[in-house]
Amino acid sequence: MIEPIHILLVDDDPAENLILRGLIRKITALRIELHYCETIDDALAFITSGKPVSIVLMDNRLQPQRDFRETVPALRQSGFIGPIGVISSSLADPYFQTFEEYGVDFRLDKAEMDPTAIEFILREYLSRN
Amino acid sequence: MANLVKNHRRYDFDSDLEKALNRVDFFRIFHTMALRFGFEHFGVLQLGNEADACMLSNRLALHDLPSGLAEEYDKRHRFGDSVVFRSLHKSTISSVWKADDPHLGNGSNLLAQLGFDMLLCVPVAGTNGARYAVLFLGDIEDISRQDHFEICYDAACAFDYFYRQVLSNKTGLGLTPRETEILRWISHGKTASEIALIVSVSEHTVNSHTATILKKLDVVNRTQMVAKAIREQIIQ
Repeated sequence: MIEPIHILLVDDDPAENLILRGLIRKITALRIELHYCETIDDALAFITSGKPVSIVLMDNRLQPQRDFRETVPALRQSGFIGPIGVISSSLADPYFQTFEEYGVDFRLDKAEMDPTAIEFILREYLSRN
Repeated sequence: MANLVKNHRRYDFDSDLEKALNRVDFFRIFHTMALRFGFEHFGVLQLGNEADACMLSNRLALHDLPSGLAEEYDKRHRFGDSVVFRSLHKSTISSVWKADDPHLGNGSNLLAQLGFDMLLCVPVAGTNGARYAVLFLGDIEDISRQDHFEICYDAACAFDYFYRQVLSNKTGLGLTPRETEILRWISHGKTASEIALIVSVSEHTVNSHTATILKKLDVVNRTQMVAKAIREQIIQ
């Protein structure tokens, strides 16, 4: 039995959860379980509860936090050392060039989210560990 | 990165290339490129020596093929025997292949074996002369001359950045502050997961930095890494 991959999506728009769920359904080669949190506080509680999280996909802007420069360090402070990817509708802002300094592993444009991209990321970050 | 002069024409592509930092960024660039020209997948293939036994899965430096496809191919076929692989050693001209090409031959029809209708190969080279090819796979019927020229140019530009940023041997280059910090913790006997907790990054990032430090210091393991770093006074 293959161990499932646990993706935690943190996004204040529940529609994104539905969209990602639909994309993941098209990935048949991997067993994936998608978990969803609407706020960073919920995400911190989820992680510290000990539930399995293989990878976090974090919406860049979550109210009331500014952007990933505040949310991702908070996740790291909670002891999460798995991969974290930031998703945004625009990666053009200059601060995205420093994402690694904030504990982010990768960035992805929302428009680029497709089953191939998700599968690539899971293979890239989870198969080698 | 890079500091290329304007004479290296990258047209409207330079902003994306200049911003690319890691393998996911280059995945995004090549994947978007493939889709833009009607293909479904891409692969960056290291050519190596023609005579060496080779497997497709081992030669792909970056790709977005479905999970396990290259590995399944390798179980059934010999990539080194394929007409496509051999042709990449015969010429550096870009080539277009279709599954029903009669001269692909039985037992060496890479396209039919992978399950695609069309393959475009763009031979490229790293700044050290190492040969690679950017492959685009899909089910389109053909590619126009204009699109062919354009994808070849774009693939060559993207590969150049990918090679210099990710693939090149960085021996002799200085360590970044983050790499030096990780090296220091390694010298204190910390594991990758402990270092990840200490410096607030993922374990994957720590392992990635460690691999880069190994390359830059031209050493083969963590023990030799620390010994050389102390010898060269990178750390105390």
